[in-house]
Amino acid sequence: MDQRSAGLNIVIFFCRQLDANQDVNRRALEKELGSRIKFFPLPCSGRIESLHLLRALETGADRVYLITCPEGSCRYREGNLRAGKRLAFAQGLIEEIGLERERLELIRATQDVQMTIDERAQEILMREAVVGPSPIKKSVAGPAV
Amino acid sequence: MITAERKPLSEIKEMIAPYKKILVAGCGSCVAECASGGEKEVGLLASALRMDAKMEGREAEIKEVTLDRQCVYEFIDQLTGLIGQYDAVLSLGCGAGVQAVAGIFPEAIILPALNTTFIGQTKEAGLWIENCRACGDCKLGYFAAVCPITRCAKGLFNGPCGGSKEGKCEVDPDAPCAWQLIVERLDKAGRLDLLQKVYPPADWSKQQGKGPRKIRREDQIV
Repeated sequence: MDQRSAGLNIVIFFCRQLDANQDVNRRALEKELGSRIKFFPLPCSGRIESLHLLRALETGADRVYLITCPEGSCRYREGNLRAGKRLAFAQGLIEEIGLERERLELIRATQDVQMTIDERAQEILMREAVVGPSPIKKSVAGPAV
Repeated sequence: MITAERKPLSEIKEMIAPYKKILVAGCGSCVAECASGGEKEVGLLASALRMDAKMEGREAEIKEVTLDRQCVYEFIDQLTGLIGQYDAVLSLGCGAGVQAVAGIFPEAIILPALNTTFIGQTKEAGLWIENCRACGDCKLGYFAAVCPITRCAKGLFNGPCGGSKEGKCEVDPDAPCAWQLIVERLDKAGRLDLLQKVYPPADWSKQQGKGPRKIRREDQIV
């Protein structure tokens, strides 16, 4: 079963440099799927923090993707490499609590395939649902006091 | 800077198991610099613990706070009025911070989330190295600002052991030989004469044997 049919909540963090019209291109999908899909454009994937990924899971995402630009083409040189390390750190942490590391996934864009953000999201939705709904029900994130 | 590392989550979970309302308290000083106990790490740990409780169907209220410093009363005082609302405080401060908070709030349960490790420096992003044992009798002035107690694996005070290879320590081939560094630096500074002198033995009583050490400064007391 694909992820769209499985009704999974998908969160996509992505480097804004991948699609100059990302704010327009993602609208149709956001309208269609509502809260089941959330996009978070980043000025560079290196802006991601492990905490962003955990918060996404904590607040109801079943799968969280981080899409970076191709290796060697980061506008800020090493942002996409740092992003990968932070995602790996977050994977280690969720594994410690018994959550599947597959719930967090890095997608590195390739030089040869030019895709808009909605095309990438459609491709993600068509993927097989390797994990089901998250065992973390609707969690209320505790704000800092 | 005092460095620390987070305890395994399994150990933290075991400590907090009897408690439902937990305040995860970070420290914005040393342990924030070494990425183990600052605001980000507080957020990560609290988030993981909340998710863990959800997954296990446990009732838990886990909130976050980060003090600028956990080892100074003026900063710890931020917890007054707050700490009583929780069953336990999970501190991401160093050992000094945990004990300072517990000393000010003796009725509260204060639990350490970190293992305090050493006094060191940030060598590069993501790398911290030990370079001071707080011996209380600093000899860096004689040894070109390289501490032989800390940075020589054998703690030798009287020259190299002879086991180093290509400037690296035979105990840890990743570490430079402290004595090679000392000799090279003194040579460069034209101060090899410092190694000709005979120095009195180190006064270890300044580090150990008298219980917890203290510094008292009359001019600082208000």
